[in-house]
Amino acid sequence: MPRKPKNSPKREKIQSLFRDYQETRDAKTKSVLVDAHMDLVRSLARRFANRGEPQDDLIQVASIGLLKAIDRFDPDRNVQFSTYAVPTIVGELKRYFRDRTSTIRLPRGLRERSYTLNAAIQKFSQECGRSPNISEIAGITGISEEDVIEGLESVETAAVASLDMAKDSGDLSLLDVLGDEDKELSMLDERLSLAGAMSNLEAREQNLLYLRFIEGLSQTEIADRLGISQMHVSRLLRRALQILRHELVTPISREPFQT
Amino acid sequence: MTEQLADSVCIRIQPDEDMIQVFRLVTTALSNRVGLNLDQADDLNTALEELFRFVIAAVDEDSRFRIRYSVLSDRLEVTAEGVPLDLSDDSSKVNRYSRFVIDSITDDLCESPNPEGGYNILMVKYLST
Repeated sequence: MPRKPKNSPKREKIQSLFRDYQETRDAKTKSVLVDAHMDLVRSLARRFANRGEPQDDLIQVASIGLLKAIDRFDPDRNVQFSTYAVPTIVGELKRYFRDRTSTIRLPRGLRERSYTLNAAIQKFSQECGRSPNISEIAGITGISEEDVIEGLESVETAAVASLDMAKDSGDLSLLDVLGDEDKELSMLDERLSLAGAMSNLEAREQNLLYLRFIEGLSQTEIADRLGISQMHVSRLLRRALQILRHELVTPISREPFQT
Repeated sequence: MTEQLADSVCIRIQPDEDMIQVFRLVTTALSNRVGLNLDQADDLNTALEELFRFVIAAVDEDSRFRIRYSVLSDRLEVTAEGVPLDLSDDSSKVNRYSRFVIDSITDDLCESPNPEGGYNILMVKYLST
């Protein structure tokens, strides 16, 4: 298909509208610009489909990104608006998911139970060199097996661990603990044949997957090596796998995950 | 030695991310009955969650996802029944990724055709001796 000339009448008109809007900040002009770019908004919102959020909500969020981009765009920079707007809109969508998934708060009792369980698991693993089972945790803590199961799984669901989250003890970030890029990480790429997706993960995220899937360390062994709890390793692995899957399904270069 | 099947539990749930918590609770509780430790229970949960997400992407909201648990004296077997996608199909990156994750963290992984359509995917975790 022949490419449109760079200075097509439509593009000229849009550029002219942007210049008008930059000078006047007229709401009607802005509305015309919004309408002209709704296909872009819908297209970017579709890239975030299948993540459990209604498509209409995603379009609304993407529209907010579009409004911000229109307000900030400088038509004199000789850059196409879409080039400028896409990162802004995608950033808005990612922020939306980040905010949505980090606001689950557990009742205080359950949080306290989680601390007790976490401490018991860590102590048991250090003393016995293996992961405990639920009966053993129940025996150590005096909490019923049912409550142990509820505590472990509730915390698992609510906790959206970040690789930048502070580790369980001390003030070091997990990023510090995991260290720099490992030369052998390329093995993970080869095993998975997923070069594109893996390259979108941060080196530290790849490192965690490497320890589990290439070195074959158990969660307890990884926890021991990194000086964090097994529960924390579990959350981090779960999160890293989710990120990798998202990268595979919607290959978008992403911003670093933050809490 | 004759295998003693103590319990068989089947759950039928919507392919919705909110349902992940439901089968995680069941998996953890039944792992406890077998005597699996936390590492093993979590591996099984991770494998099942990966499979669940693999399926969610391919089915509509009205369909249902069946997971059957078989509690045996030395292992927990989890079978996803009627999975609409062929996990062993190597042509897709997502398939290869899901299979790698599941295969790496389960002791046995087996796929077979389901007589009613789709595939049955069996994942096993053995009690450590």
